[in-house]
Amino acid sequence: MKQAIYGLILYIFLILPPVANLLESIMIIHMHMQMPLLVFSGFLMGRYVITRFSSFFEKWNSNGIPGILLFVIIWSYWMVPRAMDEALTLQSVEMFKFISLPFLAGIPLRDSWKKLHAIGKDILFIYFISMLILMAWIYIGADDQICNNYLIVEQKTLGWGSLALAACVLLYLLQLLFTDQSEYQ
Amino acid sequence: MEQPLKETIRQNPKKILGVNPDDAKVALAYLSVSFVSLLIGGILGLLQGLERAGLMQLPSWLNYYQVLTAHGVLLLLVFTATFTIGYQYANLSHSFGGLLAKVRKLAWIGFGLMIIGVVMVATMIILNEASVLYTFYPPLAAHPVFYIGLVFVVLGIWSCCFGVFINYRHWRKNHPGQPTPILAFFAMGVFVLWLFASVGVTIEVLTLIPWSMGIIETTNVMVGRTLFWWFGHTLVNIWYLVATSAWYVIVPKIIGGHHFKEKLIRLVVILLVILNIPGGFHHQIIDPAISIPIKYLHVFMSLAIAVPSLMTAFAMFAVFERTGRKLGGKGLFGWLKKLPWGDVRFLAPMIAMISFIPGGAGGIVNTSNQLNQVIHNTMWVVGHFHVTVGMSVVMTFFGICYWLIPYLAKRVLTPKMSKIGVIQTIIWTIGMTIMAGSMHIAGLFGDPRRTSDTSYGGHEIAASWMSYELIFGIGATFLMIAVIIQVYAVFNMMFFAPKGHTEFPVAEPEEGEEPAPMWTERWGLWIVLLLAVVAMAYVVPIADMIMNAPPGSPPIKTW
Ligand code: HEM
Ligand SMILES: [Cu+2]
Repeated sequence: MKQAIYGLILYIFLILPPVANLLESIMIIHMHMQMPLLVFSGFLMGRYVITRFSSFFEKWNSNGIPGILLFVIIWSYWMVPRAMDEALTLQSVEMFKFISLPFLAGIPLRDSWKKLHAIGKDILFIYFISMLILMAWIYIGADDQICNNYLIVEQKTLGWGSLALAACVLLYLLQLLFTDQSEYQ
Repeated sequence: MEQPLKETIRQNPKKILGVNPDDAKVALAYLSVSFVSLLIGGILGLLQGLERAGLMQLPSWLNYYQVLTAHGVLLLLVFTATFTIGYQYANLSHSFGGLLAKVRKLAWIGFGLMIIGVVMVATMIILNEASVLYTFYPPLAAHPVFYIGLVFVVLGIWSCCFGVFINYRHWRKNHPGQPTPILAFFAMGVFVLWLFASVGVTIEVLTLIPWSMGIIETTNVMVGRTLFWWFGHTLVNIWYLVATSAWYVIVPKIIGGHHFKEKLIRLVVILLVILNIPGGFHHQIIDPAISIPIKYLHVFMSLAIAVPSLMTAFAMFAVFERTGRKLGGKGLFGWLKKLPWGDVRFLAPMIAMISFIPGGAGGIVNTSNQLNQVIHNTMWVVGHFHVTVGMSVVMTFFGICYWLIPYLAKRVLTPKMSKIGVIQTIIWTIGMTIMAGSMHIAGLFGDPRRTSDTSYGGHEIAASWMSYELIFGIGATFLMIAVIIQVYAVFNMMFFAPKGHTEFPVAEPEEGEEPAPMWTERWGLWIVLLLAVVAMAYVVPIADMIMNAPPGSPPIKTW
């Protein structure tokens, strides 16, 4: 329960206009910090929602796959440069961001994660890595300004940052592969 | 019930045999270098103090900036690094019941590399080829040998890092499902942080070598400074982690209590490891080329470090109160009286912890943008780090000596030596309080740091600093006396104290406490998170500094 309250506090903090403005003023912070934190706040709040509506999740997300698909769709949508740009120009899109990331990505992620088989988790990691590498390729490679709201230098920064994150996820996978997980039981 | 001797030998051989003599040699070698550096660094500190006070003039062949560079390098890098390695390797040996032979070899290789490196660095400073101060960032350029010496020092540290990792993996494999002993957990935190801290400075130094040799013409000053503080700031928190290992685990045993909940202790270590490195930006609040929003976000990062610090303060005082009350302390503060104030092994780290309160408050001043404008590059900063390093960290190190060295040398701490330690602690406290206190005040009035002559042709503002500078000199004299006593105590306990058995004081958890959860041992995950935090924090400013770079700077020698 405490977790859910922390999640709610984090959520409210993130949508406060000054906080949101500051985080959105830097492209990479917008994409790789604000958005993951929104998902994370949903993940924490999920503790309450999932126990409260357990039969709903049992019925619609029994094997975790629908939830994870929803997560992937929402997440991928927000990786589109146009979506980020619109969040800054259209109030309604900004609102959709604040609702979709925690509630349609964070909560399903929490419910699905423990239900997924190892193979499902691996696929998700590989999706993350390929998504990040794709973005690195686009953002570092593009010579034109992709977003109205962000300069080219920020775009390239986002590309390099995505590459670094891809390397981190890869490293995480590798260390999972090479350490004996039973040691931690 | 007495354990049969055979059982004790099998389960806990150290109890009977004491420290493994080969491991003790490693630790004692590092500690010896450490205290020799303290002695030399202390003498140089006194020279500076007296020069600033106007009581003495350095001879023409030895200038202020040479002395200052050597003081910084010897105390900030050599003294603390060698002490840390000696102490942490002793902890590891104790926790794991002895080091692996190959790990011991790595520690000796590290020792050799570091000695070679320090000799190269020191030679260049003495030859007046490297008066670039311990921060050595461009555009000031030293002789290439100075930087190459630094590379050797880093290689030596890496050798020690890998030693710790190998021993940890070995233990982990052979003890499935068992949490590592808490001191070994701290050692992992310290050396993981050290490895990743030194990555930044290594990149910097490797670019400075061809630049100082004239092979490349210019260097990017902002990138250099940023990479330096990636390391410099993290180094501060490495000491802090080393000191907290003693606060959490050793001090409770000395006062006859138990340590705090292990889960919380481990959480503090993990948080410090993951969040630390980006704090480096608070040293660059006045630097150009970093945008305001980024600086603002980094204020959050460095204040985030206050969270584990406050957790530590809370936990420590909880332990003190609990123990004091168990010993019969009554009333609101009665328990304070029950603590063993006359025992140097407690007194020194206790004063160290108390001085962390003003130290931490000063740190919050430094990291706040507007306040930083007032104190930046003034003597305030020097006062600040003499409180944090010179008291909180160094006094903890001193306190550790009084049990660690007799333990390693298979000797005992005599009551007389304990008394000498108490006196040393008091003199050091007085000296640091006087010196750092007046440095803080002089800084508020604008007295610049790192400046040999601050008379400015007798200008009245400059004249107003004079009396404070005189007080630095008085404080420095006290400190010098304390340094001599400490070095005497260390070598006396190492070679001359009576032979005997000294306990290695490791606190146990409270009765009925749950063992630490195994997820805290996921170092692979902590390292990945550390790297992700570093990537996110550094990519923006560094990309900006490189893509919007001004023309680089050629090497500059101002002396
Ligand atoms: C005998 C005790 C000590 C005395 C008398 C002393 C005195 C001084 C003085 C007067 C300065 C000059 C400040 C300036 O001109 O900017 C200084 C700088 C410094 N001290 Fe100490 N200090 C002592 C111990 C220590 C210790 C134990 C450490 C760290 C472990 C330390 C680290 C430093 C550093 C890093 C600087 C700054 C160097 C620079 O700005 O490049 N000092 N000290
Ligand atoms: Cu710092």
